[in-house]
Amino acid sequence: MHALECEQLTKVYRSGIRNKREIRALQEVSIAVESGQIFSLLGPNGAGKTTFVKILLSLTHPTGGRALVLDRPVTESRVRRRVGYLPENHRFPAYLTGEQVMMSFGSLAGVHRSALSGRIDQLLTLVGMQEWRKVKVRKYSKGMMQRLGLAQALVNDPELVFLDEPTDGVDPVGRKEIRDVLRNLREQGKTIFLNSHLLSEVELVSDRVAILDKGKLLKVGTVEELTTTESSYTIGCQGPLPDALRTEADARVLGVTFSAEGVVAHVADPAALNAVIDLLRKHGVLITSVTPQRSTLEESFINLIKREIPS
Amino acid sequence: MSILVLIRLTLRELSSKVTMYILAGISTLVLLGLALAVSVDSMADGEVLKLFGQQVSPPVPLEELAKAVQQMQAGLAGGLFTGIILFGVFATAGVIPDMLERGTVDLYISKPISRWELLLGKYCGAVAAIGLNIIYFLAGAWLVFGLRCGVWDINLLLSALTMTFMFAALYAMVVFFGTWTRSTAASIILTYLYLFILGGILHNRELTLYLISENAVYRGVIDGFYYLFPQISGMQENGAKQIMQVEMDWKPFLQSFFSGSVFFLAAAVILKRRDF
Ligand SMILES: Nc1ncnc2c1ncn2[C@@H]1O[C@H](COP(=O)(O)OP(=O)(O)OP(=O)(O)O)[C@@H](O)[C@H]1O
Ligand SMILES: [Mg+2]
Repeated sequence: MHALECEQLTKVYRSGIRNKREIRALQEVSIAVESGQIFSLLGPNGAGKTTFVKILLSLTHPTGGRALVLDRPVTESRVRRRVGYLPENHRFPAYLTGEQVMMSFGSLAGVHRSALSGRIDQLLTLVGMQEWRKVKVRKYSKGMMQRLGLAQALVNDPELVFLDEPTDGVDPVGRKEIRDVLRNLREQGKTIFLNSHLLSEVELVSDRVAILDKGKLLKVGTVEELTTTESSYTIGCQGPLPDALRTEADARVLGVTFSAEGVVAHVADPAALNAVIDLLRKHGVLITSVTPQRSTLEESFINLIKREIPS
Repeated sequence: MSILVLIRLTLRELSSKVTMYILAGISTLVLLGLALAVSVDSMADGEVLKLFGQQVSPPVPLEELAKAVQQMQAGLAGGLFTGIILFGVFATAGVIPDMLERGTVDLYISKPISRWELLLGKYCGAVAAIGLNIIYFLAGAWLVFGLRCGVWDINLLLSALTMTFMFAALYAMVVFFGTWTRSTAASIILTYLYLFILGGILHNRELTLYLISENAVYRGVIDGFYYLFPQISGMQENGAKQIMQVEMDWKPFLQSFFSGSVFFLAAAVILKRRDF
């Protein structure tokens, strides 16, 4: 089952009365997220990540395309009983205490009063805000606001949670705690949709990742798929490599480089990889391992975005 | 259900604002002053009403004193009326713009509530806050006149309903300006602009705008505008009539209800279509 599904989602912001300016915040984005996954949307500033989430919460109306949340159209307000949301740069009414925020927004989210106080206790403990529950929100630090925001997003025990930059302004220990919270939610079968800049963090928790740039979806896949540069393999070899091998490899232009541990093959497809292996075997080289080369998510992200720039 | 939560939230929001305390404080001061100032004395030729020790009504038999008291009550209600328009709008104009602020509106709209319900909840909350203030003041005044003059006039209490209705009609316009401009200052300015300038011009359109042209279409449009806006002066007269026990004119009620509905609907449409 898909927790959310959208097809050809497009959003064009029009601004300015005299010289109409159009911002194409999303261009025909199609994404489907399986239930029970942590799905991350990555992209540089202004890529359209927040716009995407806002459309799924019906805060913004799409210019084109179709979007379903938990199998219901996003325009149906009732579906949001089962959805949680931590907005980017959220601002709770400053006159409320943390506890009152949870009470008010919990009731608005459709949680029954009788269930609410137990739930609030549990969530404030989870995000480490118990001590601050009686303090007015206007006295909170940025990270505390963020923690309260996360608790608020979970108040209705949602099946699907949208978190827009949840670790923004949170200290390293807090970030680790939030990651643990996310993993925990996944174990309970919840679906989490994450918007983030922090690639190293996304890498740690996400099941699937989508990369968005200038409103266009560049790539979707598992972290593994995105960080595996399919064309590079390290072939571990035992003993020194014969010179004849080197000359033949250069002559046949196999795209092979030699290193201390063995051979690095930059190949177009598995057949080419096997050609390299055949060559090594022909020269009597003892192969100990063949491993695809991994880059960090950050490296592949930057490569992907860079490639897009000329277009 | 959600509407009640929103009303509570709005009452809490307003009770955190200093303007609401000023409003309640002024009401209290006026009531205290009134309690000290007003009295009834028996003279040889009848009863007289006194304000700060000064006789303000001719001596009348006790049965007719109520009329003089009503006169004074109507004057007081008129003062309250003006105060509510000035301070009430000022104190509550921020309710909608504050809700629509970036980062806050996201929290509200992402809840399982439709946008018009959000608007309605906030609207009712603000009207309730002002309504409570009106009731506080009028119930206080009712007590003062009862205790000091022995005149217990239920119509003074009932006029709280008329006055709250008037504010509700006016506040729909404030909600419209607030939704449209998303600015508290702009909402206040536009509302005052209507109350102090445009409202008067439209009310006296025979002496002002009608003079520009005799064209029936033009005059029709002007009339349309007149009926589009809440009938503040008509409602004010109704408030006085209610206290004086004169039959009220139902037309301002109907027109204000119509105007309030139109403004609220327009606000709901604007809100529904907006991207946040
Ligand atoms: N309400 C709006 N009106 C007009 N343009 C908007 C609006 N909201 C967003 N945009 C534009 O849409 C584009 C995408 O913005 P969005 O906030 O979705 O980016 P983002 O990926 O979340 O960026 P960031 O990482 O900085 O949060 C930007 O060019 C932005 O200027
Ligand atoms: Mg964003």
